[in-house]
Amino acid sequence: MVMGKLQVAPGDDAAAGAVVKAEEISLLVDGELEVEHIERVCTRLRDGASVTTWVCYHTIGDALRGSSAIMPGFAARFATRLGEEPTVLAPPRRGPAPAAMAWAAAATVAAVSIVGWVAMTTLPMGDGTLPAALATARQAATVRAADTRPVVNNEYLLVHQEYSPTTAIQGARPYLRAVAATDPDARP
Amino acid sequence: MAGFVSVGCRTGLVVASLVAVPAVYGQDAAAWLQRAAGAARSLNYVGTIVYEHGGRVETSRLVHLLESGSEFEKLTNLDGPAREVIRNNDLVRCYYPDAKIIRIEPRSFRNAFPSLLPQQLNALAAHYFFRKGELARIAGLETQAFIFEPKDGLRYGHKFWADIASGLLLKARLLNEKFEPIEQFAFTDIQIGVKLDRELVKPPFSSLPTGWQVRESPPGEVQPQETGWVVKDLPAGFAKVVEGFRTLRGKSAPVAHLVFSDGLVAVSVFVEPVPPTPQPVGLSQQGGINVYSRQLDDYLVTVLGEAPGATVRQIAYSVAHR
Repeated sequence: MVMGKLQVAPGDDAAAGAVVKAEEISLLVDGELEVEHIERVCTRLRDGASVTTWVCYHTIGDALRGSSAIMPGFAARFATRLGEEPTVLAPPRRGPAPAAMAWAAAATVAAVSIVGWVAMTTLPMGDGTLPAALATARQAATVRAADTRPVVNNEYLLVHQEYSPTTAIQGARPYLRAVAATDPDARP
Repeated sequence: MAGFVSVGCRTGLVVASLVAVPAVYGQDAAAWLQRAAGAARSLNYVGTIVYEHGGRVETSRLVHLLESGSEFEKLTNLDGPAREVIRNNDLVRCYYPDAKIIRIEPRSFRNAFPSLLPQQLNALAAHYFFRKGELARIAGLETQAFIFEPKDGLRYGHKFWADIASGLLLKARLLNEKFEPIEQFAFTDIQIGVKLDRELVKPPFSSLPTGWQVRESPPGEVQPQETGWVVKDLPAGFAKVVEGFRTLRGKSAPVAHLVFSDGLVAVSVFVEPVPPTPQPVGLSQQGGINVYSRQLDDYLVTVLGEAPGATVRQIAYSVAHR
């Protein structure tokens, strides 16, 4: 996929040069990253791969929570728009108070979210290309979502129930499973 | 625990004398099951069922009536879209107003318990401890709890609460190896043996409203025959109940279907040619049902049943060409 060229804040080359670990991005997205690492991770989030990872984790999170699916080409548009934004992050100076760092992180996330929101609402849709990384993220999300909201083959399930001895003692019980299904498209 | 003896070994004179004990056990367990199955089919009842699984709770209204030897049943879910399932004997209609779809399913419900075979009774006794539990009040009625506790990790535990007066199950719970509930059905209110009007089991409409689709499933009867598939490493206690091919909606080719039962639950094995669209493989779960899918050569093997994931997985991996 093509990512927009991202600027690196002057005076922060050493920090920005290193790639952020995916685990750190995951922790950041989940709000579990330790305070002392937040600013470092946020600062380095400007390289293309890290941004993609960051978007991926949000996509996974959305899928697991059952939020709306992300639009095709979102990551590419997002990266382009982000590339066009002026760099707002300042290089770290004297160690700021933890609260300040948390604010900085919140501000970064807010800024990025707004960019994403703008990208999603203002750019034309339907370029039809789903970046490979996003596709992978979606797949991963689908697999993980299967743990919580599985798509069991309903045809098989109903046929199976005919033979289940426990069905016999509980009458309509198999159909409780059918009508309880949350996804109508998966059921009928 | 009543101290029943396993009949895992069936040879020798000593064992022969022990078999008598589980036979009594089996009859006691079977008596409860048969009474519950009979009550579920023959009584009129109306009530609210709460179905809990995986941290979710769904509430449904159930009406069941027997009129002139014909069985009518209507299930309406009370949460979310007003989906309804209406059954008249072997014909099941599912109404999905959210999708504007009616599914029509010919289903023959084999009422397994009234005709428990001796080997099924033996399997029950060999693989579950049966015991009576507490007396409990459920939906305002006095119930007797009874428990099937698995003797190995290949099956789940079951706890049932039966209405003492009628035998109808008012609550059923599936338990994992830690004796934690996986899935539970319970009536929160119920009237049993009341006169019910046919109006109560009427479909939501008599003629199809515009925009609705009907999806009719082909007759689901299995033609018993060898399918060319075999399960080589069947978990202890499971025996084959049926084997054959069946035509299923959405499947271009007939699907091989083998059913195995340990007397209390069944596990189904489905084998079909690999479909053109990729199917999820691996383990998934819906309430108390575990499903394991894997590809075997050019076939997709799907195993599902009310058994632990390890059990369906073991079966899935031991499916082979005969």
